[in-house]
Amino acid sequence: MARRRLTAVLLLLPLAGLGGCLGAQVEVPTEFPVPLLQRLPINVGLVLSDELTSFAYEESLPDNGDWRIVLGPAQQTMFNNLFSGMFEGHQLVTGTSAEDQGTALAGVMVPSIEEVQFAIPSQTRSDYFEVWIRYQIKLYDNGALLGEWPITAYGKANTQNYRMSGTSPALQAAAFAACRDAMAYFAVEFQRVPAVRTWLATQSPGASS
Amino acid sequence: MTANNLLHRLQLPALLVLSQLLLSGCVTATVQAVREANTGFESEDSLVVLGRRSRPTANETEFNFVNCVNRKVGAGGDGLPVLSEIEFRDALFPWFEPRTAPANASDLPELISQPELAARLESIGLRYLIWVEGSTQRTGSAGSMSCSVTTAGAGCFGFLTWENDSKYEAQIWDVRTGRQAGKLSSDANGTSYMPAIVVPIPMIARVQQSACTSLGEQLKVFLRGTS
Repeated sequence: MARRRLTAVLLLLPLAGLGGCLGAQVEVPTEFPVPLLQRLPINVGLVLSDELTSFAYEESLPDNGDWRIVLGPAQQTMFNNLFSGMFEGHQLVTGTSAEDQGTALAGVMVPSIEEVQFAIPSQTRSDYFEVWIRYQIKLYDNGALLGEWPITAYGKANTQNYRMSGTSPALQAAAFAACRDAMAYFAVEFQRVPAVRTWLATQSPGASS
Repeated sequence: MTANNLLHRLQLPALLVLSQLLLSGCVTATVQAVREANTGFESEDSLVVLGRRSRPTANETEFNFVNCVNRKVGAGGDGLPVLSEIEFRDALFPWFEPRTAPANASDLPELISQPELAARLESIGLRYLIWVEGSTQRTGSAGSMSCSVTTAGAGCFGFLTWENDSKYEAQIWDVRTGRQAGKLSSDANGTSYMPAIVVPIPMIARVQQSACTSLGEQLKVFLRGTS
């Protein structure tokens, strides 16, 4: 009996090893830090569309299975924490019109995910999973589009750090790192975007509540 | 509990420890230090050990190595207060992310001139920022082993050997002065063996562990200013 069990285990071991390469489904964690910045003294609106909060990227790779990265649920915490650190106040709004914006908000921002790419170790010939996410940010004031700019975020994770856990945690870590990178890029570069600089120059301290 | 019972209970752990000692490969490790400024450690000071996660690098420092150095520096009677890497990166977000982290000690004064950042660093008492770079690589391997499973049983025959090389460097930045205080490098290499006559018997050279222990111990001495 014991010998049969050992035989079964030995036969299944290589299959288990192969199984680790045949696709994965991961969901990005929702714990993001709040950026440590000098807050801008304005209140802004934030539109988180259903497309963004339910976003999932799927791809089938020949000989490497089906892959799915669920990014949507993390976007709410991600943008809420990002805006909490960057602005004196922010609130979720449903649209970009003057009525949606009201008088208390200096503008409305609408983030969206335009493109996702990822690479697995067999493609990069390394130990790394890599994830790229291209966001597009639009800034509106009273319904008028003031500007839009892309944010290309990148994350990678070494499979050697997750040796005993299969492929999912490494892919998840790479996607999570890409989201953090997007936050870092947005936070640091925000005031350097020409449209934002022009917009901020028009905001008097009285515009904040 | 009688003395016999106690001896019996201790037999298995003792055998495991003994076999670990006997069945480990040989490792040679060296540590070199370059001091650029005086160091010292006061009771309210703390430090953080961070792995370099710069974007183009293919050989990122392993998490377990950074965690190991963290533990070594914080352990023992002469241990120093060490902040966890993840908690530090979260507390100082977004200033120590791969995209934004300062590349040189000379970037530090400008970074910490931001009032919010300076206040946070003051509140956590950070005195030293230690950047660890490097990795452990397999530099060679030889031999062969074959395993087979039959109805009569399973077994492996052959001999494998491989060599690992660890190269790590720690840059020590003094947050208070905004300067680099020095560098420590830790190199270790060793050969592991695995003969197999029915059952494989691994004799693993713990190269990375050795590099970590050497670096951790030397960091404590360096930071206390006694080297």
